[in-house]
Amino acid sequence: MLERFIQNIFTDNAGTETQAETRERLKGCFAPGATRRMTQLGMVVGSVLNKLEPAPEDTLVYASTFAESRSLESYLDSFPAASPTLFQTSIHPSGAQQGLIGRQRSLGEVFSHSGVDQMPAQSLLTALLAPAARVLLCGGEERGDWLVNYYSAQDRTFGYALALTREAGFAPLGRLALLPTEEAGLMKQSEWFDLLHQRRALDGPIALGWRLQLNWS
Amino acid sequence: MAGPVASGTVFLKACECLTPFGHSAETLAALLRGERALQPRSVLGREGGDLVPLALLPDRALDETAPPSWLAPVRTLLAPVNDAGWGTARRPVFVTSSNFGAGSLYAYRRSGDAAHMEYGALVNCVAWLSKQLGWHENVAIFSHACVSAHLGLLQASRVVQAGLADEALVFSFDFLSPFVSGGFNALKILNADFPAPYQARATGSIGLGDGAGYAVLSRAKGDFTISAQSMYNEMHHFTSNQPDGAGFEACLAPIAAQAAGRRLWIKGHGTGTLDAGRMESGAFAKVFPGAPLVGWKGSLGHTLGSCGMVELAISIAALRDGRTPGTIGSGAPTFTAEVALDSFANDRYDGVICASNAFGGAHAALLLSHA
Repeated sequence: MLERFIQNIFTDNAGTETQAETRERLKGCFAPGATRRMTQLGMVVGSVLNKLEPAPEDTLVYASTFAESRSLESYLDSFPAASPTLFQTSIHPSGAQQGLIGRQRSLGEVFSHSGVDQMPAQSLLTALLAPAARVLLCGGEERGDWLVNYYSAQDRTFGYALALTREAGFAPLGRLALLPTEEAGLMKQSEWFDLLHQRRALDGPIALGWRLQLNWS
Repeated sequence: MAGPVASGTVFLKACECLTPFGHSAETLAALLRGERALQPRSVLGREGGDLVPLALLPDRALDETAPPSWLAPVRTLLAPVNDAGWGTARRPVFVTSSNFGAGSLYAYRRSGDAAHMEYGALVNCVAWLSKQLGWHENVAIFSHACVSAHLGLLQASRVVQAGLADEALVFSFDFLSPFVSGGFNALKILNADFPAPYQARATGSIGLGDGAGYAVLSRAKGDFTISAQSMYNEMHHFTSNQPDGAGFEACLAPIAAQAAGRRLWIKGHGTGTLDAGRMESGAFAKVFPGAPLVGWKGSLGHTLGSCGMVELAISIAALRDGRTPGTIGSGAPTFTAEVALDSFANDRYDGVICASNAFGGAHAALLLSHA
């Protein structure tokens, strides 16, 4: 069975917070001065991911529907004098890399997902198929500006990170499993975040061919 | 330290690519002739700027059209395998790219023409592409800069090996635009010089190229196999590697364990930057001493997120043909004695290691051989 146990989870529901507000709130999570160069997505994802203390033998699965959308907007507006810093931070998976590079946390496998309708299910499948003993599943979105009008950026900011293991261990916080199904279903990233943030259970189809069972202890 | 190796073997039922020279057979022939697709072009397209080496598909301009000019050649590329069943539950599609529709996004922002936004940005681009190609909704998207194709191949392998799919299509693409060339130019690694991968010279430089490719993975059918895959992510710096080159070796170690006793040649990443080229070739010489190392970005340019797939397809064509193209654009002195400047017969080798690297110190490698 495609199953993992949730050993730890952190979420950050930044909502409509501005980048400056997020920087002020989360600056203590990073090295002094580091947040000046970080994106809002990088700060939100980095702050929850680093709490899981990533280790070299972990597999990291990072999921963001729209990826580094705010950096993308700013980078585009920097032309014709293209900004090298914004170019770097606009490239997926910068949102996950910023915090990890800041703490020099090397990893073996890093899978970086994007997309809309199937993405939470796809990222879960990647996490559940990874052979590593511990998989870190993280993701998030940052509130965009003009890209929101073209369904190319999220209208709110959030981040999540879960530590998943094959063995239940002493006191898992929850369990998640993917099962084949012929029922139709769809779960988007924002709905997946809300489920995690509110620690709600689910037993239902979330994508073509897949049913999610999520239980909390 | 190293990432785990994918268990089992996956078969390549089909694998093909698209470069400025054509598909894999035409590209191989051009590389064996030592031809260079890179040409000096203005880094910002119609807006001018420095002349830098870019390799574009024939009749394709750097500035994007609406709809994108790359759709027709992509349709032609995929035609032999693009039947009606892709994207269903048992036949998943894995789309990988670094830039997706960034050229359309750039065109919209510079021109204000909203027609570009149907293809601009990642999500819209893949949704539009899926519709154009008739794919159903089981489409996963991976994007990790220049190792993107390797992520798709590894996850598709796991899905197929786990019996969750009958076969899987991995499609990789990246087409140039001022968005990309302007960015690399701003980083000062895209300059007027043509790239000379693995050559010890005073100044490094890269070229950029259009590229796309696909692989159909199966559990039981195909003339070629991928028998090991590995990844490693340094997380040391966005645009530089750990100075001791340990990240390159960490990625190769699991492949070396799997390939013990086999005679191999190596298709490296080899963009033309000096530090990365020195460390990469040094790691290959240490882990696989004597194995000839080639890189083709001196001709094709760096095709970014698609490079792992494009160069896999060319490697397969080389295995079929019996000759491996040399490291075009480079000359002596090279960083290591293993760098092969000229083409060579590959029939005495058991397989090839295909490696790619990316921003953030990301490394990926796979072991390809005849089935």
